[in-house]
Amino acid sequence: MQVLTFLFKRFGWMIITVWIVFTVSFFLMRQIPGGPLNGERVLSEAVRARLEARYNLDAPISEQYFTHLWNTVRLDFGPSFKMQDFTVNEVLAQGFPVSAALGILGMVFAITIGMTSGVVSAVRRNSVYDYSFMLLATLGIAIPNFVLAAMLIVIFVFNLQMFPAAGWGDISQIILPAFCLGAPFAGYIARLTRTGMLEVLGNDYIRTAYAKGLSPRTVVLKHGLRGALLPVVSYLGPAIAGILTGSLVLERIFVIPGMGSHFIEAAIQRDYTLAMGALLTYTVLLFVMNTLVDLAYSIIDPRVKLE
Amino acid sequence: MFIAGFAVVWAVNLGTLPPAEFVFNNGTEVKTIDPAKATGVPEGRVINALYEGLLRSVPDGEPDELGRTPTKPKPVAMADSYQVSDDGTVYTFHIREDAKWSNGDSVTAIDFAWSWMRFLHPETASEYNYQLFYAKNASKFALVDLHEGDPVEVEMKDRPVAGQMFPRGTVRRGSLLALIQPPAEDSHTQDDGHGHGGSGISGTSIFVVEFDDESEKTIQAFTTQSLDDEGIQALVKSYQGMHDLSELSSVEHVLFDFQHVGIKALSTHEFEVTLNSPTPYFPELVAFYPLHPVHRLSLEEHGDREFTKPGKIVGNGPFLLKERRIRDRLRLVKNEMYWNAPNVKLKSVDVLAIQSETTSLNMYLNGQLDWDTKPPNTLIPLLKERDDFVSTPFLACYFYRVNTSKPPLDNPLVRKALNMAIDKQTIVDSIVKGGQVPARSFVPPGMNGYQSGYCGEYDVEQAKRLLAEAGYPNGKGLPTIEILYNTADSHRDIAEVIQQDWKKNLGVDVSLRNLEWGTFLDTLRVGDYMVSRSGWIGDYADPNTFLDMFVTDGPNNQTKWSNSLYDEGIEKAKYESDPVRRMAIFKEMEQTLMDEQPIIPIYFYVSLNMVNSRVKGFTANLQDVHPLHLLSLDSEGAEP
Repeated sequence: MQVLTFLFKRFGWMIITVWIVFTVSFFLMRQIPGGPLNGERVLSEAVRARLEARYNLDAPISEQYFTHLWNTVRLDFGPSFKMQDFTVNEVLAQGFPVSAALGILGMVFAITIGMTSGVVSAVRRNSVYDYSFMLLATLGIAIPNFVLAAMLIVIFVFNLQMFPAAGWGDISQIILPAFCLGAPFAGYIARLTRTGMLEVLGNDYIRTAYAKGLSPRTVVLKHGLRGALLPVVSYLGPAIAGILTGSLVLERIFVIPGMGSHFIEAAIQRDYTLAMGALLTYTVLLFVMNTLVDLAYSIIDPRVKLE
Repeated sequence: MFIAGFAVVWAVNLGTLPPAEFVFNNGTEVKTIDPAKATGVPEGRVINALYEGLLRSVPDGEPDELGRTPTKPKPVAMADSYQVSDDGTVYTFHIREDAKWSNGDSVTAIDFAWSWMRFLHPETASEYNYQLFYAKNASKFALVDLHEGDPVEVEMKDRPVAGQMFPRGTVRRGSLLALIQPPAEDSHTQDDGHGHGGSGISGTSIFVVEFDDESEKTIQAFTTQSLDDEGIQALVKSYQGMHDLSELSSVEHVLFDFQHVGIKALSTHEFEVTLNSPTPYFPELVAFYPLHPVHRLSLEEHGDREFTKPGKIVGNGPFLLKERRIRDRLRLVKNEMYWNAPNVKLKSVDVLAIQSETTSLNMYLNGQLDWDTKPPNTLIPLLKERDDFVSTPFLACYFYRVNTSKPPLDNPLVRKALNMAIDKQTIVDSIVKGGQVPARSFVPPGMNGYQSGYCGEYDVEQAKRLLAEAGYPNGKGLPTIEILYNTADSHRDIAEVIQQDWKKNLGVDVSLRNLEWGTFLDTLRVGDYMVSRSGWIGDYADPNTFLDMFVTDGPNNQTKWSNSLYDEGIEKAKYESDPVRRMAIFKEMEQTLMDEQPIIPIYFYVSLNMVNSRVKGFTANLQDVHPLHLLSLDSEGAEP
């Protein structure tokens, strides 16, 4: 019951947020100079007038706002300005799974690499492993993902010739970008896991577990890790947000036709409808992800109350 | 963890698509593959593969001294021959008997007449529609340029599919008895008289049309606005003429009757086009992709946007669209129904949409691409040494526009001085470095029978003299001149060299302003600049594609420059049937342009292509066109 109330409230807030994002970006977009109908070749007045009528750009701005808002409520974002063969919904439908694949794989990299090295560092505290993992983690956090991408392309694409340079179409093309995407978060997760783990390992119940004669592996993985997970889970919210925005840059470097590419191009080309569609999708996505993280948090730690 | 694993497997499987036999980078996602609505070079590469016009521009003949093969529009396409009347105004195309659409239907003259009607139709709003304004009455149809007495077609509001342009509603043909428009100050009517613009007549108009159906004459009044429209109601109220407006009805369109436009199917295989005047480069236009036909039935069935989707698209070109992934690739496969299919060698082609020039080059060097259409400028000096670098000057010019309405730039002497004070050779040698040619004219050299104009060499003394003559000895009294460019390193580097040249040679202070592309275009359009970077790629191999830009108020003029002699000359060239005299007129006009200098040519572009040595049939040419159906792969060829 408590969960339902929580979800219901969150949903209400989401609607309000989406509406505000819609309104602000609707007017901001139209404030910047340039428009979707501008191109290198200038349109003749007759053609421009026809196109403005086709896209309802000749209507008063308030009328445009309400028409667009109503269409958005019905989940119809209209046709894309710059990719005339597609509606915005079609573009998003093609782009979303691609970004999702990249994001999920990046997240999996971040969690597996981060947690493993964190646990090892904590258990082998002050060892060579600990120092080198933590150095790598710091590097991972400090190096921006596009720099990392450039370095990895030089090493893995040109020197070792293990992966293709860019593109989308088979498994080998997803590994490098997903790794670059996950790397900074792997760094954070490693440090969080290590700290959490160290704290937990000093507790009395861990000593009790050892005293009962459990193997070190069981103690660390079963009793230790569970307690150490909390900070990691609470970090997942910002991490997911970071993965979403991080993929904007990486999708461009690795030529991945996901939401990020569409969003950036839409903004540059003043593709009003597509930019709006992508923006609102991102808003909803972030909201949903944060809600899920809060839910997970309350499941792992019963002390946390949902509000 | 299990869920994550499952998600990864799902995610990875989703995108799997092995590469095609031939892969090239098209540089950007195409805006559309609908010939009537497309503009741009990348779109052209795809549309020329999916569709085919009456003629095709193909490399033909002996290479010139720069190794460039001329391109010629030839009847090696849907038409297998064509005749031109003696006065050069009537073209009759014979469509080959074995021309087929990819679904097996025959390609007929009726398909062309219908497609060209759609291309010109105002609702299609084709950006290139002026290319067909050479056909008789075509501009009247496209621009709704109606006058009393004209034959008209009225499309009723009964379209079979609501919100879809085709199939059209019932079309009735009659003649326009009266055109009732609001008083002049309300209607923003405009006609620049050059076939480029002119918004026709105001939307708030009432058309009184007489129909002559089977011995019975009826007269009806129509408007394209809704009947509740305030403007229309006011118009009805204030009307004091002889016609009865009480039965006014609202319709989709009232247009110039297309049956009176010079575009006709004489029979299933004879297609006739009547022009306003002899237009020697009309075959070039016919070969240009906006005039490629589309398949009427599939368009009517699926609608204006859906008909371009894989699985629904019906084409008549050498390739078919198999799959399309937005901002990733178009997968083309050979079209077995194509009339010349046995000579199409490539079985499948991937057209990639990679914007990053570096990434694209990486992929080329890594063997993922066979053809890179846009290697990065900074690496050209290195790439130039390689055998797989194919480069040659082509029909494109990098130039600066000068806003002739902003003092002191309204003085032609100042503009000339600025031109002569630029060391173009240095720009070419040390900035762009790809073998570009310093421009002393606007029209690139190499066009058949045309001798370009001339705007003078780099001459500091002369430039100083001109500036002194204009009243600014040693640059004294000149305000700071601002150079506008769109954000890109290469444009900035060139602007910096020019900034130094002007400062050093003329004593002129120069500031630089860079704007992001969208903003840049807008700024240029409203004329809020002094000097601005520009570029132009010729659509066809005729000086007209360059020179008709600068007629007074031409949409692409943007310099506020206006010269009535120039306007008349360009217009006269349209009607000149003698090619030698015509070129002479163009030359004289270009010289006028160079003397008054509303533009400063900097250099002529070169085409830049990286082509894997296993690709055969790739010829350097003047228009940088490389039709996919002429390429083949040498299986013995080496990987880079």
